[in-house]
Amino acid sequence: MSDELKSDEYLWSGTGEPDADIAQLESLLAPYGHRGVMPLLPARPVRRRALRAIVPVLMAAASLALVAGAAWFAFAARPGGWTVQSLAGTPSVGGNPIDGPSRLGVGQTLITDAQSRARIAVGEVGRVDVEPNSRVRLLESRAGEHRMALDRGQIRARIWAPPRFFFVNTPSAVAVDLGCAYTLDVNDRGWGLVRVTHGWVAFEYGGRESFIPKDAVCATRPRFGPGTPHFADAPPPLVEALSILDFSPTENVNRAAALDTVLVTARPHDALTLWHLLSRGSKEERGRVYDRFVTLVPAPAGVTRDAVLAGDRRALDACWNQLGLDSASWWRLWKSPWRER
Amino acid sequence: MRNVLPPVDLAAERAADVPVRPETARFSGGQAAEDGRLVLAARDGDRSAFELLYDRYARLVHGLLLARVSRDEVDDLVQDVFLAAWRRLDDLRDPAAFGGWVAMIARNRATDFHRRSADLVELPDNLQARGASSARAEARAALDAIRSLPEAYRDTLVLRLVEGLTGPEIAMRTGLTPASVRVNLHRGMKLLRDKLGR
Repeated sequence: MSDELKSDEYLWSGTGEPDADIAQLESLLAPYGHRGVMPLLPARPVRRRALRAIVPVLMAAASLALVAGAAWFAFAARPGGWTVQSLAGTPSVGGNPIDGPSRLGVGQTLITDAQSRARIAVGEVGRVDVEPNSRVRLLESRAGEHRMALDRGQIRARIWAPPRFFFVNTPSAVAVDLGCAYTLDVNDRGWGLVRVTHGWVAFEYGGRESFIPKDAVCATRPRFGPGTPHFADAPPPLVEALSILDFSPTENVNRAAALDTVLVTARPHDALTLWHLLSRGSKEERGRVYDRFVTLVPAPAGVTRDAVLAGDRRALDACWNQLGLDSASWWRLWKSPWRER
Repeated sequence: MRNVLPPVDLAAERAADVPVRPETARFSGGQAAEDGRLVLAARDGDRSAFELLYDRYARLVHGLLLARVSRDEVDDLVQDVFLAAWRRLDDLRDPAAFGGWVAMIARNRATDFHRRSADLVELPDNLQARGASSARAEARAALDAIRSLPEAYRDTLVLRLVEGLTGPEIAMRTGLTPASVRVNLHRGMKLLRDKLGR
């Protein structure tokens, strides 16, 4: 390859043998680059859009866009690891302290101590901020899949790729990005907690799935897997009772009382939580959940109680559609590939 | 697989050494769909959705402004642009076209700035700080040289060399085709080398 073509390749993609002139210009000019933070935003009046008439058209376009987007991200994925930079203190990659832009290769570990933070550029699909006292590993970085492990600590992820391109393994569940921003914590016992601030996250482990929308949280624990999501503003007794239902053996004598508490304290907004419980626990428990569920949201037409209790997918999907979540239309698009995997 | 295009046909370029401009901006389907979703959420007051748009486009806006106005003003103008975008989201007819729209706001804001402050002159670095290094003066000279290039070259080179975006990232954020960005980078760099005597 001629020098001119090598230079062109580096100018285009930033990869390959650096051109000396270009690299020097990058170094000289980098201090002029963007370093600002987002301005404080004034309140906006809430605006409701009347889009019902064009929803089918939008859905079709969105489906096409998702396919095209997925293809683009798969095509554009860069092998060879992620870029890491320190946000505070001195994080380490592979045991070596980093003080400038560095590379986190597949199989390598990034560690932050009590004083350090780091930012990872996840290929072209998003970014992850690694908070103090954290340990993360890069497991996979290839077309169609970016996967890391959070062994302990906290990360803040912002992912703009189409759903199911970014995964975080924790000791007790896999967090699957469905187009979102979220915070994920793992403590020294391997207990995890995800808080979603935008979009959706799925928690999955051993065939158990939880779907967590914006403003909801979900815990996960070793041996049990993901718990039941609940909104962050859920009544504290409901949250406490859920931890008994989710993370105690089926023979726990407190389960019945815990379920009572969940059913009594659930608000219409908490139908999301009850929807997850429709497919968990004993048949008797699920029956009680269904009976309460249909008092919080309209019963889906054409769906029988027996079908729901039998775990019929269509029946459960019909129940889901009654939740009235803002992102339900997108959820429908994402769910199919997820469930059919 | 990486998004790598074949090398530019250098001979063909020499035959037509003018910036490549797209007839219409084209954004990747996935990003446009995501942008559209974020815009709709932001219109309903979701600040975190707008923050994601900011993360995606702040370097583009910063680069477009830096290519046009004094660097001392750029940070404030970036904030102005995103505040204007936040306030005027309802005016955006196609939510998926956020990238092109916010870039247009940035260019217009730069024009307004020049209209209002025609007499302002950017201070050289060696007057702003005593003992400024030669590297800083060199950086300033390089930035001035880039700013003297035709607009299409100027924008792509600032985004590549200052903001650190790669060619595919520039294409994704500006809506230019990857081929156009690649050609503009190559031709712009050639002109820049000539200007800097490299």
